[in-house]
Amino acid sequence: MNLPSPTLFLQLALCAYGFGVVASLLAMRWEKFANGIGFGSATVAAVFGIGAALTGLTSGPGNGGESFALWPSLIPYLQLTVKLDPLGAFFVLIVSVLALALSIYSFGYVRGFYGRKNVGVLAAFYNALLLATTLVFTASNAFFFLIAWEIMALTAYCLVSFEHEKPEARNAGVLYFIMSHVGTGCLILGFLLLFQAAGGQAPGDYGFETFRTLGDKLSPGRRDAAFLLFLFGFGIKAGIVPLHIWLPVAHPVAPSNISALLSGVLIKTGIYGLTRVLFDFMGTPPNWWGVTVLTIGTISAVLGVLYALMEHDLKRLLAYHSIENIGIILMGLGAALMFLHTHHPVLATLALIAGLYHTMNHAIFKALLFLGAGAVLHATHTRNMEEMGGLIKRMPTTAFCFLVGAVAISALPPLNGFVSEWLTYQALLQGFGTTDSLVRLMFPLSGAMLALTGALAAACFVKAFGITFLAQPRSDHAAQAHEVAPTMLAGMGLLTAACIFLGLFPTLFLKLFNPLTVQLLGQPLPGFLSEADGWVLGNTQEMGGTVSTLGIALMGICLLPVPLVLWLFFGRQTKVRIGPTWDCGLKGLTPQMEYTATGFSKPIRMIFKALFLPRREVQREYDYSPYFAKNLHFESHIEEAFVTRLYRPLNRGILRFSRRMRGLQAGSIQAYLIYIFITLLLLLMFAL
Amino acid sequence: MMFSVLAILLQTALLLALAPLVSGCIKNWKAKLQNRRGPRVWQPYFDLAKFLRKDMVISEHASWIFRVVPYVLFISTLLAGLMVPMVSVSAPLSLFGGALAFVGLLALGRFFLALGGLDPASAFGGMGSSREMTIAAVAEPALMLAIFTVAIAAHKSTNLSQMLIAAQGPTWKLLNPAHVLAFAALFIVLLAETGRIPIDNPATHLELTMIHEAMILEYSGRYLALVEWSASVKQLVLMALLANIFFPIGIATDSSAASLGLSLGWFLAKLLALAGAVVLVETTNAKLRLFRVPDLLSAAFILATLALLSTFLFQ
Amino acid sequence: MNSSESELASQLITLLAAGMLVIQLLMVVQRMLLTSIRLFALQSLMLAGIAAIVAFFHDNAIHVYWVAGLTLIGKVFFLPWLLNRLVRRIQIDQEIAPLLNSTASMLLCGGFTLLGYIVARPFTSLERLGNNTLAIAITLLLTGFFLMFNRRKAITQVLALLTVENGVMLSAVALTSYGMPLVVELGIFFDVMVAVMVLGILVYRIRETFSSMDVSKLSQLKG
Repeated sequence: MNLPSPTLFLQLALCAYGFGVVASLLAMRWEKFANGIGFGSATVAAVFGIGAALTGLTSGPGNGGESFALWPSLIPYLQLTVKLDPLGAFFVLIVSVLALALSIYSFGYVRGFYGRKNVGVLAAFYNALLLATTLVFTASNAFFFLIAWEIMALTAYCLVSFEHEKPEARNAGVLYFIMSHVGTGCLILGFLLLFQAAGGQAPGDYGFETFRTLGDKLSPGRRDAAFLLFLFGFGIKAGIVPLHIWLPVAHPVAPSNISALLSGVLIKTGIYGLTRVLFDFMGTPPNWWGVTVLTIGTISAVLGVLYALMEHDLKRLLAYHSIENIGIILMGLGAALMFLHTHHPVLATLALIAGLYHTMNHAIFKALLFLGAGAVLHATHTRNMEEMGGLIKRMPTTAFCFLVGAVAISALPPLNGFVSEWLTYQALLQGFGTTDSLVRLMFPLSGAMLALTGALAAACFVKAFGITFLAQPRSDHAAQAHEVAPTMLAGMGLLTAACIFLGLFPTLFLKLFNPLTVQLLGQPLPGFLSEADGWVLGNTQEMGGTVSTLGIALMGICLLPVPLVLWLFFGRQTKVRIGPTWDCGLKGLTPQMEYTATGFSKPIRMIFKALFLPRREVQREYDYSPYFAKNLHFESHIEEAFVTRLYRPLNRGILRFSRRMRGLQAGSIQAYLIYIFITLLLLLMFAL
Repeated sequence: MMFSVLAILLQTALLLALAPLVSGCIKNWKAKLQNRRGPRVWQPYFDLAKFLRKDMVISEHASWIFRVVPYVLFISTLLAGLMVPMVSVSAPLSLFGGALAFVGLLALGRFFLALGGLDPASAFGGMGSSREMTIAAVAEPALMLAIFTVAIAAHKSTNLSQMLIAAQGPTWKLLNPAHVLAFAALFIVLLAETGRIPIDNPATHLELTMIHEAMILEYSGRYLALVEWSASVKQLVLMALLANIFFPIGIATDSSAASLGLSLGWFLAKLLALAGAVVLVETTNAKLRLFRVPDLLSAAFILATLALLSTFLFQ
Repeated sequence: MNSSESELASQLITLLAAGMLVIQLLMVVQRMLLTSIRLFALQSLMLAGIAAIVAFFHDNAIHVYWVAGLTLIGKVFFLPWLLNRLVRRIQIDQEIAPLLNSTASMLLCGGFTLLGYIVARPFTSLERLGNNTLAIAITLLLTGFFLMFNRRKAITQVLALLTVENGVMLSAVALTSYGMPLVVELGIFFDVMVAVMVLGILVYRIRETFSSMDVSKLSQLKG
């Protein structure tokens, strides 16, 4: 079958996004039309994007499609070249699948903005963000990459502060903007270092092709500096600890389809950047790189989930979980770097695959969860879990989709989160035997911390799903919630199906990784990964561990007759009565007597109180006796350690320094003339 | 065929038949140690039959999650059990999963059970769910590290049959410190996962002291039968894991009836010995305060870390 | 001695040494003084066991048997009895809150184990029967010192000193081929005995003066 080339698909996708931007802006006045055409063209573009990615990844190993220039180059060093190579194709797949589901969801979701806000602008920025992100993944020139990166950051800022009448949205946007720019600054420096090492003469020296041949041409000092700059720059975007403070502030305030995009795709651009630079450009890494990335990953994973457990704002909880999952992805990437250093390329492929598979899985289930949270927000007009409850009876489909997302993110079999964490565990386990130094202890200890993270995530999602959807409604809005529009359900359903597919058929999906590993590590997929005709996911060694999620699911269905046979034998005449919950003899349970989200996470708060430093304040107002209080005021806080201990002192230091620097701007013309004169003198002496 | 249908059926039957017996033995021996007569060893079977025959009362606030939980719990625990080698070296579903899938399936059951505790809008259920998920979270690092230690000795494989084969050898190999320390760590995790003293008191009737019992407070009739049975199967499965991986004496390496029979005898002996150890620990200790349980579980973590260090400390 | 028997002996020694380490860690988090004393007795019993095995496998070296016997009588029976009597007389049976809480102490002691391993690595190529116990001995030393400054009751500090001595004895017995000369062993042994007796009297005196065994109160003696 002669499929069109991946490049053609990519061009069609980019055109469709561009059309979406322009058309939505032109149709600003007619809301429904803008909604339809804006998100419609995004849907079409997403389909083309999926086509591009799939054909790019299955058209055999090699460097993927040819590169083409978006626009002829007018400025030297700036060539707008776009190329769909396997790594880029994989990330384009992630962005396109998400765009498809989100655009379908947006048809229904955006109706909530009719009359209040400009839907055309939203659709235009949405398309622009998707366009910029796709270009980030496919740009093949460092300058062009940075331009696309900046456009992506700008449109994301506009979308985060879309509801700019709310002060929290404005502040979130500003914080996001500042941190994103600090990151971009580091990236520019990093690329400049690479450019300088490549010679710095020819216009093509900013192209990724040239960077690929750098390998070991960089001196160790420059390499390490470049590593740190890229880690910092891409790390801010990805949201690693301690650079993560913008994430839980910015993701909740955006409209929910945008939050899904931010958490699902934008932070993955950081991962794309790290993978591209570290695996494609930099050659064999020294050991400390892998150790650093693995440590950062472990710390981010544990801290992310611990802070998530303390939240009762549904979207902030999900934002903190993104930090946790980025940590898990970085664990896989860090392990891969360590394996590259000790010259175990097969194990490096296993670790890399584990990290990238988790990237895909996280994008899908995190977007699903955010869409579910958006549906709940749409129906109950609140993000606070303490006001929800009982929604499973009023919004059954949303509840089911959210449940699938919750089971997936808690890494429970047989869904996709379990598969990628299984691969990560296997990579970490094999790591113990790769070296004789004490560094090998890091692998099992990181594995233990990964287990802690998984169990804490499960606890967090029991809380999130249970308090939001189960039991009785805790407020009037929750009691009057209704199911959301069919397009929203369709978007969620698509992602649910993707979760289940990626969970049950990992071996099918892994075939897509072959050109990727060949490109990055020069190694095809290890043979034992797919055993028993694709039923079983294996390991890199012969008698290693194996798992088959499809087998587990089918076996589970086969075991279903066992309880049914028991009913047949014993319980044929039993009846089922509906009665009240056990209430210790009181007149009935009110919603106030249910467990709260804060109460659910109290044991964890107490166990880790050295980290959270919880404070509580109780104030009573009473007339004659404290036992008969008129008013009770209870406050409980945890300390956001990074904000208060790291960023605020940093802020204060910078402000103090700038105040002192203000002295330089004396206002007198003579002072300025003296500055210019001194600079001229210095330059002349330097030239000597 | 990748697996043998007969082996699956036999192992399922063994799991279902043996689980209440182990629970009954533990209850009976605990009573005897406390100078009481105690219930008969076969009492749990009669209890299960009684529950299966009774009517059910379901809370008006509960949703379909409440009804689905017993099935999910039962099936996931059985699946986990099918991955553990019991009488023969190769477990029926060893190709479908090893130690990690085992832990994951038990976690799946626990996830749904916790949801089932929150569903009927009962405060006791919420409390039980909260405590159960917390204790499980704090026990996971010790569990995973102990599994890693055993897997490292088995040529870095998480396949449970491989771990068993690697543990076989001359008897004094059982005295390997890594082995003994990992066993100690896993024993403490066994106590935590099956809700025994000193972590949880399975015989308490005070709701504020319950952890596992609080989650299943609203279940009655045949759902309660399934949930109780799942709890005993989980206990049996964890004990079987501990017994077989750390003391692989007498396990059958071929599938002849004689060696399987002998292996079954050894298996029962090991199980009852382990049950005796659990009874001893339960009788000589008091239940810990909830916020002291993490101290015990971090002791288990340190034991597991020492086990890991011992793999190369004593080369 | 054929190799499988010496393998068994090596395995047993390793197991007992690991047991000593585990008991040391348990002492670090233990609060009840009487239980700490019993743990110390158990640890000394394991040390005696190691000495006995070493003696057995080195062609029944008599003086190492003597060492095992002395450890048994002195550290497993006599010293714990003495300390028990002391604790009962002063009627304080619980430790007050330590400097570092139990989880942090345990993690720190895990770090000490690692440090002990790193320090002992250059020496583990010796072909001795108990060569891998040097790491444990160093760890016992470090954790014993940690125990001394983490706690405030004098009895626990005495016990910590005794466990440090256990560690030193472990390395002496397991690493030297015929043990140290008997005279040296006897000297160390009686040294420890006298030290404990003197400390016992001292602790009783502290209790009488301050009505408490909290050694931080000794700072009141400053002029």
